[in-house]
Amino acid sequence: MGKPLDLLQGTLDMLILKAVSLGPLHGYGVLLRIQQISGEQLEIQQGSLYPALYRLEHQGWIASEWGESDNKRKAKFYTLTATGRRQLHSETEKWNRMASLIAAILRTTPEQI
Amino acid sequence: MNLLARSRSWLNSMVKGQRLENEMETEVRFHIESYAADLVRGGFSQEEAMRQARIEFGGIESHKDAMRASVGVRWWGELDSDIRFGLRLLLKNPAFTTVAILTLALGIGANTVIFSVINSVLLRSLPFREPGRLVKVSFDDLGVGRVDTPFSVPEWEDLKSKAGVFEDVAAEWEASVNLTGAKQPERLELLVVSPNYFSLLGATPQKGRLFGPQDFALGFAEAVVISDGLWHRSYGADPTVIGRSVRLDNDLYTIVGILPPSFRNPGRTIATDVEVWATAGFAADPAPKPARNVRIVPAAIARLKPGITLQQAQARLNVMSAQIRKDFASDYPSRSQWTVRILPLQESLVGRVRPILLLLMGAVILVILIASVNIANLLLARASGRQREMSMRLALGASRFRMIRQLLTESVVLSLIAGAVGILTAEVVLHSVTRFVPFQIPRQSEISIDWAVLGFATLVSFLTGLLFGLVPALQSSKADVISALREGARGSGYSVKTHRMRATLIVSEMALTVVLMIGAGLLMRTFWRLLHEDPGFNSANVVVSSIWLPVPNDPKVDPYLGIAHQAPFLRELLRKARTIPGVELAGIASVLPGTLAANSTDLNIEDIPADATQKLSAEIIRVSPDYFKIIQTPLVGGRFFNESDQADALPAAIVDEATARRFWPDRDAVGRRLGLGRYWTVPWLTVVGVIKDIKQDGLDINGVPHIYTSVYQDRGRDLNLVLRTSVAPLLLEAQIRSEVQAVDPGLPVFNIRAMNDVMESSLAQRRFSAELVAVFAAIAVLLASVGIYGLLAYLVKQRSQEIGVRIALGAQRANILKLVLGQGGMLAAVGICVGLILAAVTAPMISTLFYGIHAIDPIIFLTVPLILLVFSLAASYIPARRAADLDPIIALREA
Repeated sequence: MGKPLDLLQGTLDMLILKAVSLGPLHGYGVLLRIQQISGEQLEIQQGSLYPALYRLEHQGWIASEWGESDNKRKAKFYTLTATGRRQLHSETEKWNRMASLIAAILRTTPEQI
Repeated sequence: MNLLARSRSWLNSMVKGQRLENEMETEVRFHIESYAADLVRGGFSQEEAMRQARIEFGGIESHKDAMRASVGVRWWGELDSDIRFGLRLLLKNPAFTTVAILTLALGIGANTVIFSVINSVLLRSLPFREPGRLVKVSFDDLGVGRVDTPFSVPEWEDLKSKAGVFEDVAAEWEASVNLTGAKQPERLELLVVSPNYFSLLGATPQKGRLFGPQDFALGFAEAVVISDGLWHRSYGADPTVIGRSVRLDNDLYTIVGILPPSFRNPGRTIATDVEVWATAGFAADPAPKPARNVRIVPAAIARLKPGITLQQAQARLNVMSAQIRKDFASDYPSRSQWTVRILPLQESLVGRVRPILLLLMGAVILVILIASVNIANLLLARASGRQREMSMRLALGASRFRMIRQLLTESVVLSLIAGAVGILTAEVVLHSVTRFVPFQIPRQSEISIDWAVLGFATLVSFLTGLLFGLVPALQSSKADVISALREGARGSGYSVKTHRMRATLIVSEMALTVVLMIGAGLLMRTFWRLLHEDPGFNSANVVVSSIWLPVPNDPKVDPYLGIAHQAPFLRELLRKARTIPGVELAGIASVLPGTLAANSTDLNIEDIPADATQKLSAEIIRVSPDYFKIIQTPLVGGRFFNESDQADALPAAIVDEATARRFWPDRDAVGRRLGLGRYWTVPWLTVVGVIKDIKQDGLDINGVPHIYTSVYQDRGRDLNLVLRTSVAPLLLEAQIRSEVQAVDPGLPVFNIRAMNDVMESSLAQRRFSAELVAVFAAIAVLLASVGIYGLLAYLVKQRSQEIGVRIALGAQRANILKLVLGQGGMLAAVGICVGLILAAVTAPMISTLFYGIHAIDPIIFLTVPLILLVFSLAASYIPARRAADLDPIIALREA
């Protein structure tokens, strides 16, 4: 396991949507989930998660509800909304197209030109 | 997209601002504590875990700020705190705040008052159905220089049938009428209209009905409609008044309807307001038999067909009048060039007062600009005291935009408070102000502060705040952090740039003041010229009163039908009037000097061929023999009228010098002959005398020629009793009335006043506007003086150390005085020069408001700079004196 990667600009929103799409999570849970699926390879500044959560909720892609955490404490849980699901879908598609495009470009050898 | 979710979340956070804060707090704490708990499980100590968790979370406050920004409440939060901060600053400097608010409130209040007048008079459309289609129809004889001439019934028919541009055309005839039957006969203002008048305007009655086709009569119908005012005044608002009889000019009429209080005749009135409407066909007694050349109807209003523009309608009317001139050549002498002209009704009502209202608006805008500059200057001075605060903020990472926003918020808070004070003051004083406006503003009763005015005043306040806040805000946010902090540390905090900015502001303030002062000066000088204008008569010790001889519809019962009836009545009236104690002489004039009469007619001179292209028209004034002696107008040649100038004698006329010179430049006018009227049937009048020129139409009007005829030869219904007496009008009133009514008990006597007052009121509008602008100019001078004083006082304080050193090193105190005075004088001089150029450009634009002076009047353009310079130097003297008296020891020690 190498040095953790800094998050690519603009991808945090997508990751949050993905994390929440797997089930309701509180803010700290979102962080843990991302770290878990990324195999601890992504470096996210913890505090910056919240402005992003608020922004996504403001845009109507996720919804929030106060509930009780595993350790019986009051916590705010976020869930994906229907529009959020559509957004995640299109973001994923965009990302995949972009990634394969970039990968193709990077694979290019002198002979292919 | 998702506008709903966004606005819901925004609204939520706005309404529940505190809840948002609590939730953020809970959420962040939960995060940190959960993480810390995990760390503890990983072997950290509790304390170490919390520390680590906080570090990894990052700046809690900045994240919270970003969260607020995410839901869009940060902007409001900042605005809120800026406003609070601004208010705190204002409270901290009560002296500055009071001065600033009063200054601005004065400016905004003045703007509000003047704009509310303009809004109601010029901007708001007339209170009738589709007012945009209403026009006034005028008939002009351009060839002889007469406008608004009467028209005939066939011509009126032409408008309705041939023109093809009007939906309807109503004829109007404004007249006096005597209401008899009550204790005292009363003179009322009557409007005789065609039956379609009310439907054309779209008026509805308050009670009863208005005129309709069923009221059509060749002569007068017996139905009348009365105003709400008359209903209250004469009938105590009795609802049973409908159907009651009323005697007007000896004829019986029936009241059929009462108009609502808001209805006012949109047209010319004789003196006050129309109170009675009668309807007539203008085609039978008392009107003569209709014929194309019997032009008796004085005025008309019309409603354009939908979709026709004014220009299109006018073009069609031009074609129509050309055709009519051709078809009826004998009725339309080619030299008169008869034409029909239309004007929007609103324009015809208010066009006359537009220039003066716009001038006043210009003046108050200048006042608010000057006030703004003054406040900007104060703020700049204060800003240099806040330099360190600003630099500190910049150093801590505030963006420039953010700082400008904060400073502008502060100034807008100030100006909006001032605006509220100004609007409230305007609301309180508006009605007393408009009541004291001496001239008849059309639609005066409609003047009020409505939403448009409120919007305007708020906008003015807001813009004012931006205006006076912008320069100081830009200036102080530009602060170069390092040097500002260093300068601040040295205690100077006053850069060359700021000084240059403040000097520029003072210069522009001076320039605006000069423009306002010159405007006021020119108006005052015009007024002064008019006061000293020789009116051609002596109005002192002359008391006048008005009488209207009734016109019954049936000529057979008319007691004043011809000269044979009128002359004996007038002789008896004058004999009685002379018996009033204190009255030396008594006379009659149909039109008083200083009152505009629209009684002009074509003038024919025997010695000048009728088809000559000269524009000949004249105003006829009927007078009694003693009239010129009473008003002390000297005779230049020939003789005055005497008792023998009566019906059976040679018709006589008296002309004024200007008329005599114009028509008979190289010979004596006495003995020459002239004819009056377009188709005068009367024999030639022979000029028997020439008098000195009388300013008949008002001191500021060089009117058409005036031809005087004898009341014993020329009949008419308008009479003014003119008495030479040293007794006050008030004391004479009862006696005049009883003597007049001793001759005819049905005659009301009205408008009893001193001739001096008549002249005074002919100048009242000019006096009012000149004085108002002068008051504004005085305020401007005061503000400018305060401005220059403030700047110099500040400079002296800033430079006290330097001045102290100079004095210690032996500088003469007189030189120090000169130095500061020179600085003030220099600023004033530059401002004055700029102002003079501005004034020279703008003054000719309002030259219609001047009389007898050139727009660039040398006396005003010389005295205004001198006055302002004196004020500026006086204002500079106080700080200059302070500088010269500086004790070097104290100054150096304080530094």
